Amino acid sequence: MNAIVRGVGAFLVLSVAAFFMSDYHNDVYRKLLLWVTLALGYNFLFGVCGQVAFSHFAFYGIGAYSIVIFLFQLHLPFPIAVLCGIALCVLFALAVAIPSTRLEGFYLALATLALGQLFVVVLNEGGSVTGGTGGIANYRLPELFGMRVRGPWYTAVIVVLLLATYAVLVRLDRSWFGRACRAVRDNPEAAAAMGVDVARTKVIAFTLTSALAGIAGMVYAFVDNTVNPPIFGIENAFLLLFMVIVGGAGRHAGAVIGAVLLFLLPFWLSPLVGHHHALVFGVLVVAAILLQPGGLVGIYDSLAKRR
Amino acid sequence: MSAPILQVEKLTKRFGGLTAVHELDFEVREGEILGMIGPNGAGKTTTFNVIAGTYPATGGEVRFAGEPILGLPPHRIASRGVMRTFQHNRPFAGMPVIDNVLVGAHTRFAAGLWSVVLGTARRDEAQRRTRAEELVHFVGLGELREADVATLSFGQGRLLEIARALAGEPRLILFDEPAAGLTPPECARLGEIIRGIAARGIAVLLIEHDMHFLLPLAQRVVVLNFGAKIADGLPHQVRANPAVMDAYLGSHAAAQ
Repeated sequence: MNAIVRGVGAFLVLSVAAFFMSDYHNDVYRKLLLWVTLALGYNFLFGVCGQVAFSHFAFYGIGAYSIVIFLFQLHLPFPIAVLCGIALCVLFALAVAIPSTRLEGFYLALATLALGQLFVVVLNEGGSVTGGTGGIANYRLPELFGMRVRGPWYTAVIVVLLLATYAVLVRLDRSWFGRACRAVRDNPEAAAAMGVDVARTKVIAFTLTSALAGIAGMVYAFVDNTVNPPIFGIENAFLLLFMVIVGGAGRHAGAVIGAVLLFLLPFWLSPLVGHHHALVFGVLVVAAILLQPGGLVGIYDSLAKRR
Repeated sequence: MSAPILQVEKLTKRFGGLTAVHELDFEVREGEILGMIGPNGAGKTTTFNVIAGTYPATGGEVRFAGEPILGLPPHRIASRGVMRTFQHNRPFAGMPVIDNVLVGAHTRFAAGLWSVVLGTARRDEAQRRTRAEELVHFVGLGELREADVATLSFGQGRLLEIARALAGEPRLILFDEPAAGLTPPECARLGEIIRGIAARGIAVLLIEHDMHFLLPLAQRVVVLNFGAKIADGLPHQVRANPAVMDAYLGSHAAAQ
């Protein structure tokens, strides 16, 4: 009951804000919400499960491209296009996870890095299906029940996506599954002795978080009403990793703080360093790893403890 | 006499040319504490790891509750009711004590992943948590329930290993040198806990190096040397057995 009240409260605060913003700020705000959603999912995969994967952003792209292709190239009805998009993400996730999670961490990183790169190549070479280097544009969200969700109302849809993703991840984290994921991360042999199927746990976590990224990608497809290869480049996969590390890996609050900070930082930094904010990010990540492995949330924790 | 829960027959484990365990036979009965002793390198821990599924066996048969378990992966053996502790404590570092114990209960959760996501698994979670808290109290870590495992002493870490193994509701629990590294008062407390576990009807297989700890505790003892059983029986019989004295103290001492 309490959780529902808090959820509705968060929804109202986060979505009402959108109605007081200019179009430009609404656009920035939507992308911020999407980055937070992605960082939450990636935090579960990287921070909670300890899987160093670089495919999370590629699944975001698979979701975005698949909804556009299913709707506007194959002309599937909206609900079926959504289900097909999710199914596609799950299939790709299983195809990557089953062989690579059986290997040790380093190989998962390599396999997912390859997937991320390959995805961009496929997009560029996809001809009329993916629209090649120019991607696909000039489409609009289909009408649902005679209405088209637009403007700040679409921002409210993204708020729902964010809160639903958060709710799913928090529930998983606080359950036997979340504890199994952490146990597998900390000590796989001891986890197996406790009855945890290590390979299965890894595959489920990878597939679930990848599917969540795919759903976020479907929502993203109607933010700019265009999908093209440069958006889904591999540097965004690293940006996600940086967000989670700087914020504090393994903590939902860390993912939120890291995503907000690193998303907004370029806006503040651009008058100072132009487009070289990646340098600042690099310094932040190295500083976090060397000085504060708990990230910004870890700093908050140690301050709170001292008090 | 109660029924055997674990039956080991002609168990053999070779690492390349080295035979670590050779045609070993023994059984553990329900509610019994079976001690397994032997000098360093006698094959105790290897036997233990083969039963728990960590190493594949080279030959022989292991039956648990009448069914063969050799060849099953460790998590399947655990879910059938064989839980273990580690000689070197292996807590899950990122979790408090109670969550570590709840990982031990992993196979006992009834709610599936969908009901977790839909939020209908709360009662299952609450029941398991209550049970885990009882176990934390049983081993004497009640006040450290929410403590970070990194703050536990070595002895407390060993107690956590035991609570975690019990959370899986085992019918057989395997202790790998549980007294190693403990102070004498901690050893005494450990002995009480192990007796309490057996009194609950759980079979205990206790591998131990330290005869002074094991002999008063075990109901029967199996003695290994160079991978083979050299004696078994009641603790006082084993203590008086010349082959055992030979293995532990050398043939010169046995002759005297």
